[in-house]
Amino acid sequence: MTFPKHSGRDCVRAWDTMPWVLQDSATPEQGAWLEGHLAQCESCRTEFAQQSRLRQAMSLPTDISLDANVGLRRLLGRLDTPDAQEAPYRSRSRSWLSRALVAVVLIQALSIGALGVKLWSTGGNPAYRTLSQEPVPAATGTIRVVPDAAMTLADWNALLHTLHLQVVGGPNDVGAYTVAPTSSTSTTHALQQLRATRGIRLAEPVAVTP
Amino acid sequence: MNDDDIDADVTDRMLLQRMSTGDRAALSVLYRSYHGRLCRFLSRLTRRPDVIEEVINDCFWVAWQKAGSFHGDSRVSTWLMGIAYRCGLKALRQHGDEPVEDDPQSEQRTPEHDLDEDRELRDWLSKGLDHLSVDQRVVIELVYGVGHTLDDVAVIMQCPVGTVKARLFHARVKLRNVLPALAGDSPKHKEGAP
Repeated sequence: MTFPKHSGRDCVRAWDTMPWVLQDSATPEQGAWLEGHLAQCESCRTEFAQQSRLRQAMSLPTDISLDANVGLRRLLGRLDTPDAQEAPYRSRSRSWLSRALVAVVLIQALSIGALGVKLWSTGGNPAYRTLSQEPVPAATGTIRVVPDAAMTLADWNALLHTLHLQVVGGPNDVGAYTVAPTSSTSTTHALQQLRATRGIRLAEPVAVTP
Repeated sequence: MNDDDIDADVTDRMLLQRMSTGDRAALSVLYRSYHGRLCRFLSRLTRRPDVIEEVINDCFWVAWQKAGSFHGDSRVSTWLMGIAYRCGLKALRQHGDEPVEDDPQSEQRTPEHDLDEDRELRDWLSKGLDHLSVDQRVVIELVYGVGHTLDDVAVIMQCPVGTVKARLFHARVKLRNVLPALAGDSPKHKEGAP
């Protein structure tokens, strides 16, 4: 609250005191002090006159006319039927809340069911393999082959094609591939051919652990 | 608080006590006793008679339900005004705080015994209050109309006394600047001047 510099401290005090003097809640000392100040301060006298008028205007009965008896009858009627007025709103809101919760639970149940069916249908074998997993055991008839580093990719592909082989694993740390026959080709025959091929440093059947 | 206020509060407490036991006659007495005061108080919030009646009844509905839990920390009148204030704010949120514009019925609402001087005073006040916020109008009504102290108003509006002081100050400054001065003089003061 800021007052202009020309306002004396007494004017500020008078400003603060006026409402309480007007509503007769100020002490007699406050009232007497204000009276003395007003006698010598025209500005505060004008303000007090306007405050008095405000107080008088605020004391007038309202111009909105309401019949207390009509309102009371309505209130008593409301007391007689409290549930009829309050309960429907509550029950309506509760009903909507319950329905919404049931809908959410049903959606969740259906989703979980659908997920379960999907997982069951995949047979528990994931379609992926993590790097930390043990390598899939080699199937029977696979051959581990180490081609020479100088062997070109074209020669390697041509060799596999000729012998009806395909790479199923590798290369590992030492450059070894695991190959398997694509048709009914004899593993022994393919092994012999590989060993006879120039550029193949090693060709050994993979020993399957029983 | 003067002796009349003390006596009135004692009576009000007895009525509340009876209300807490389901005494509807006590409710009726308290209702009639406060109807005019609440009507005028709420007319500072809204000009809609239907909303005012609804809020008064909401207020007494709450008072009826909570009469037994009134601990007497404040006067009954302060407690009731606080309930009415909160019910009134709730109604404003529901119905909008735009007062009904003066219509032909407003003339009928004016009491027949209203003297010209009173009518002039009402118009003067109405023009001033239109420039105030809802909270400022409420503070002015509670202090100048009902005669509550700052502490009472703080309880009613559930805010610190300093907030009430600030609202009262700004409302008074605004009123002084917008209201035509007495005897038709134009306002001489600037904002912030006492």
